Amino acid sequence: MEQELLDLLVEHFQDRIAGSVKSDKRVEIFTSTSAIEDVLMYAKNVLGYIHLVHFSCVDWIEENEFELMYAIFSPKSKITIMSKVRVDRENPVAPNIDYIWRHANTFEREIREMFGIEFTGLIAEKEMILEDWIEMPPMRRDFDTAEYAKKTFFDRPGREDAQDVRETIIKRTGEELPEFSKKYSR
Amino acid sequence: MSFFNIKGTVNPLTALAQFAKKPHTLRFPEVEVEAKDRYRGVHYNDLQACIGCGNCSTICMNEAIDMINIAGIDSSKGDTGLRPRVDNGRCCWCALCVEVCPTGSLSLTKDYIYVTEDADAFLWTPGVDNPEGVNLKSFVSSKEHSLNVYGRVPMKELVGMERVKSFAEVVLGYEEAEARLEASRCISCGICTEVCPEHMHIPEYINAIAAGKDEDALRIIYDNNPFPEMCGKVCTRRCEEVCAMTHRGVEDDPHDKGAIAIRWLKRYVTETAPTAERIKEIVNPEISESNGFKVSIIGAGPSGLTAGYYLALRGFDVTIYEALNKAGGMTMWGIPKYRFPMDSLDKQVEYMESIGVKIKYNTRVGVDIQFDDIYSNSDAVFLGIGYQKAWTLGIDGDDMPGVIAAVDYLREINGGGTLDVGNKVVVIGGGNVAIDGARVSARHGADVTILYRRRVQDMPADWEEIEGAEHEGITIVPQGIPVKFIAGDDGKVKYVRYLKAEMKVEKEGARPSPVAIEGSETDIEVTTVIGAIGQEADYSFIPESFKDKIEINRGRIITYEYNQTKDPKVFAGGDTVNKTADAISAIADGFQAVKGIVKMLLKEE
Repeated sequence: MEQELLDLLVEHFQDRIAGSVKSDKRVEIFTSTSAIEDVLMYAKNVLGYIHLVHFSCVDWIEENEFELMYAIFSPKSKITIMSKVRVDRENPVAPNIDYIWRHANTFEREIREMFGIEFTGLIAEKEMILEDWIEMPPMRRDFDTAEYAKKTFFDRPGREDAQDVRETIIKRTGEELPEFSKKYSR
Repeated sequence: MSFFNIKGTVNPLTALAQFAKKPHTLRFPEVEVEAKDRYRGVHYNDLQACIGCGNCSTICMNEAIDMINIAGIDSSKGDTGLRPRVDNGRCCWCALCVEVCPTGSLSLTKDYIYVTEDADAFLWTPGVDNPEGVNLKSFVSSKEHSLNVYGRVPMKELVGMERVKSFAEVVLGYEEAEARLEASRCISCGICTEVCPEHMHIPEYINAIAAGKDEDALRIIYDNNPFPEMCGKVCTRRCEEVCAMTHRGVEDDPHDKGAIAIRWLKRYVTETAPTAERIKEIVNPEISESNGFKVSIIGAGPSGLTAGYYLALRGFDVTIYEALNKAGGMTMWGIPKYRFPMDSLDKQVEYMESIGVKIKYNTRVGVDIQFDDIYSNSDAVFLGIGYQKAWTLGIDGDDMPGVIAAVDYLREINGGGTLDVGNKVVVIGGGNVAIDGARVSARHGADVTILYRRRVQDMPADWEEIEGAEHEGITIVPQGIPVKFIAGDDGKVKYVRYLKAEMKVEKEGARPSPVAIEGSETDIEVTTVIGAIGQEADYSFIPESFKDKIEINRGRIITYEYNQTKDPKVFAGGDTVNKTADAISAIADGFQAVKGIVKMLLKEE
């Protein structure tokens, strides 16, 4: 049944999508920002995939891309289609789909705030969870959470006795760590 | 709609029925509900299992975890003595600290209620402040779901019976991708550096390999070890024994227990520099201008060469006197070539000579040059003479033809000689030298039996050497005490007579010792007996008058800080000084002596 569904989608959209059967009741398809609306509309209105289960984002920093993942479900076939779309990390723009599922609006606000992806035509308040945020979107992988915590929050009194593990060992053994190698220390 | 709506008045009253029902809420704190499985409440740490590696503190994105000294926990080998303390006011309960804990000592509990008026009381040392947490553990780390990778990248080797056909190197080394993968398993705690006699900068060079910076890795290694290729192939690697990744074991790797393959990674890096010129190009050491001081070194073994290399870098005029025609000491003459090939060693010695270390080969001190001359013409002398002389077996008939010492045999073979041992060899002893002698004989086509007084698990040899010997078809006869060698008609040894032994604990707590079983005499037919029960130093080149000046006690030279002997001008290192008698300890001795000589002659730290 999964294969039939995939064949049906490929037949309809031709080279605009590619995909595979991932496992029982799970089909994965890859498409583009220009085709995703058509795919979701077709799946919802023609094939009966009426429920948007989840909509989220992955930062593929090594490939300089974000991946948007739309999980849609049909209560009849009980199959979940994982539709994936890559967007350029430098200029991340994707189409708004909240006219297909109203609740996509909330997902899109969150993804916009956490990853900095713009959804064309999205009407919603800019701020959702973060207040007066001036840093880069915090779910991007190049956001240094530890560094942010360090500069934003003060250390509670009583933490001054913290020790560095490597330094502790060096002090005990008398090892002389050359300066140029310190960038490789933990 | 009428003015008076009866429904609007009566319907709300139905809510009164709720008074008769049980409430949906709980009467906290009288009633408590146990949290669900895998709940992430406050931390608990098993203080005995924790080794203070600090991985939890490093991963914490909220900077909530400090490593601190706490009363009652002392540092030891393999344990930094530090323990984590959590600022629960900062913790976001992501549990990454638990996911990366290599020992599995850290967990999160079902305990989630903590009320205080003092916000600073949120600083908690798990395990110390909540010993009761041991029964409340809920989010625990499992090896399957940990973010650490426990198994090591396997090393490719020649198969057992293929090996005995030649002296080809048995271990094949990591490919680049394998090395990167293995290096990326390291959590960089540095616990390994403490047990390394030389305190090499292990986490730093492993991280450099993981980052793809092999040249930086080689530079870091050369900072305090001029013999990385040798250590990369034959080091006793005590570092791997205490590796944080070993604590939870790996089922199919009972010996290494999944320790980071520190030795193989070092080997990988050295193989990226295939020639002495390339080493020089990469390491590009800073060589100080000549300072006019002369240092003489006796013995071109690991300790002498190490001292020579670092002294030459500091501008000393270094001359090494070597009795034989090649440098390397026991690593040249003792270790068989299938473990440590000749070109690996030559490359390293050649590099040392290229930066100014002078080696006088075929110059035996006491014969070709007198010790007194060296002593009076030098500002400092380093003795790295090693243990060359084999102990005699002390058994009836041990002087008959066909009974030889393993070190002499290995020296002969490693020097390119041929010494026919025949087709039936018995090796006596259980150390690495014994196994080397056995495996070399096997490569010359002999049927080899190792006779050892104690059990196999008591053998001081490396487990991989023992296993290697077994794979190559060598028979190990444990609990066998040789008592007599019997000559054949030609006067050569023909039989070894031994007694079977049983292990008895003589004193409580002592290690069991072998006691011969009477009447259990067995004879094995042999063509050659190879003895390998230990070595000692040959001090005959040192004039009697001088021996008193540099205390020699029970065959060892006594040294003080910086490996200085009682005579301040004389330093010593290697097998004659340390008890561990391995190459890395010799390197450490040489390195210490350099510090001492620099301090003494250049009057600086």
